[in-house]
Amino acid sequence: MLVKAKKNALQNLYIVEIVKGLAITMKNMLFGKTVTIQYPEERRQYSERYRGQHYIKATNGVENCTACMLCPTVCPAECIHIEAGERPDKEKYPVKFEIDVLRCCFCGMCEEACPKDAIKLSNIYEMSQQQREAYDKGFLLEQRGNK
Amino acid sequence: MLKCTIDGREVEFQSGQNLIEVAKKAGIEIPYFCYHPGLSIVAQCRMCTVEIEKNPKLQTACSTPASDGMVVSTKSEKAKKNQRSVMEFLLVNHPLDCPICDKAGECDLQDNSFKFGDAYMRTSEDRRTFMDLDMGPVIKKNMNRCIHCTRCIRFGAEVAGIREMVAIQRGNNTEITTIDGRPLETEYAGNYSDICPTGSLTLKDFRFKKRAWFLKKTATVCEGCSRGCNMEIQQEGGQIYRCIPRENQEINQWWMCDEGRFNYRYTMDKSRITEPKVGTPGALAQTDWGSAIQAARKAIQGKKTLLLLGSDLTQEEAILLQKFAKQTLANADVRHFGTPGVKTVADDAAADRLLKRKSKTSNLHGVEKLGISAFESIPAGTEAILVVRGGRAVLPSFGGVASVVGVGVFADSEAKALSTVLPGAAFTEKDGTIVNFQGQEQKLKRSVLPAGKSKALSEILALWTHQGAGLSSQTGSKSSAATLSEGAV
Repeated sequence: MLVKAKKNALQNLYIVEIVKGLAITMKNMLFGKTVTIQYPEERRQYSERYRGQHYIKATNGVENCTACMLCPTVCPAECIHIEAGERPDKEKYPVKFEIDVLRCCFCGMCEEACPKDAIKLSNIYEMSQQQREAYDKGFLLEQRGNK
Repeated sequence: MLKCTIDGREVEFQSGQNLIEVAKKAGIEIPYFCYHPGLSIVAQCRMCTVEIEKNPKLQTACSTPASDGMVVSTKSEKAKKNQRSVMEFLLVNHPLDCPICDKAGECDLQDNSFKFGDAYMRTSEDRRTFMDLDMGPVIKKNMNRCIHCTRCIRFGAEVAGIREMVAIQRGNNTEITTIDGRPLETEYAGNYSDICPTGSLTLKDFRFKKRAWFLKKTATVCEGCSRGCNMEIQQEGGQIYRCIPRENQEINQWWMCDEGRFNYRYTMDKSRITEPKVGTPGALAQTDWGSAIQAARKAIQGKKTLLLLGSDLTQEEAILLQKFAKQTLANADVRHFGTPGVKTVADDAAADRLLKRKSKTSNLHGVEKLGISAFESIPAGTEAILVVRGGRAVLPSFGGVASVVGVGVFADSEAKALSTVLPGAAFTEKDGTIVNFQGQEQKLKRSVLPAGKSKALSEILALWTHQGAGLSSQTGSKSSAATLSEGAV
């Protein structure tokens, strides 16, 4: 059963309530603390352990990766595609190393599984690209973030 | 009944069985590296030592025959300590490059190290390293990983019948190599990779292609010759990566020849025709199934036809073709063909001392059983030939017959004499029965889907008869299609 609240004419205009509400708005606007930041001029500080864009670590210019396939094995999103090959200075190396970043869920299990400390997640969180092919081995080798 | 006790369990055994086999039967695992049921026993790796009651010292289970009333303990403190120590010794020089090694995931050393070894090691000395010489086209050697089990040496000398692997130097410097560093000569070289308990001898063909744990396995039979070795096809995503033998004491024991091991390659070759093709011999053009079937029917219809079926087809396919010939191809002559020089079962003999047979097709003995006689020469007056084969039967010369319809697996080069090609399923793509030279019936199992637009023979023949209104005067198309599907593969 509906009960209708009894209001007089002044109450029906809501003027008092509007003023009350505006007072709270003005108080927060003029004297309150700002919660947003001016991105991209301002940046937030992320944790050291933030899991952002992947990169392949290199030692003396040679990628650490030996294409052991442990990261595609452990990857729950199945987004890592590696092809192994052989070259004179390295018995086994990844000819192709591609990450389907749209599929990636940034769980960091690849980093954990890697026996060679090769695949790492950086602090980079801006990952938009203009080509689908962007996340290939060369790109992953260049990206280091702050690491 | 002879009985002994292993780890507190009473196990029955036959006299002469060694402790590893007796324990295995009871489901108790004794780790080992150098022991192989198909090779002589050397008790060299010392991994399988067990404690036997009333014996002052540990005994190697591989070289100790079980005897009545023996009380064996495989998990006593003493045995366990020995297993840990042996693992530590074996790993002193092992590079632990499992991320690179192709054996990782199916490696005895890796498994046993995980189960019986220690996680830490005490040595800090440099590991020995070797420069590896090339061992021919099949095997890639990596001596650094070797644990000197000498299985390869024994396999060469005892099974393959050629002493090509030897151990040179002594002690820590022992190196397993071929005599004078020559490449391997045996035609069974792939087995070196199977029996090697580490990644010292790996297949060049499989090198870095796929990690072992990604592979899906199908137990099937080799179609390389009339022996029909039991094997396992390992594939992922429709791509076959390797074939390895399965144990079958009556047929191939544990082994397999290289020809059979790498036979799968033609099924995935680029030159394999996987689309229906129609045209004149030498000039074939791709088309769709409907028009290809029509063209094939036109080429055969009403003509005096010779039906040639390869002895690499399965029993089911051969029976299907016999029925098809009776119902659809009036007065067709049905003959089988296969290996040049091996026309009938009488010509099939052992090609070497181990496994290989002269007939290079799998089901020669089966098609003979069905009463199909061998192809000798093209009978006079033949106007059309329908040739059906799996992929290994060698095509005979068609002697100027213009309309030749081929059904099955053909390479581009083989299709030159054909006027129509209907691509069929290869042995990896179909189920069926083949009969080996001993008369053993074995099952082929499908491991991958037919490549491209290829179809199973039963499907092709059903298409042929089902849409074949007016082709056959004796039987209606519906009834013949129904009869054909009885024997559908």
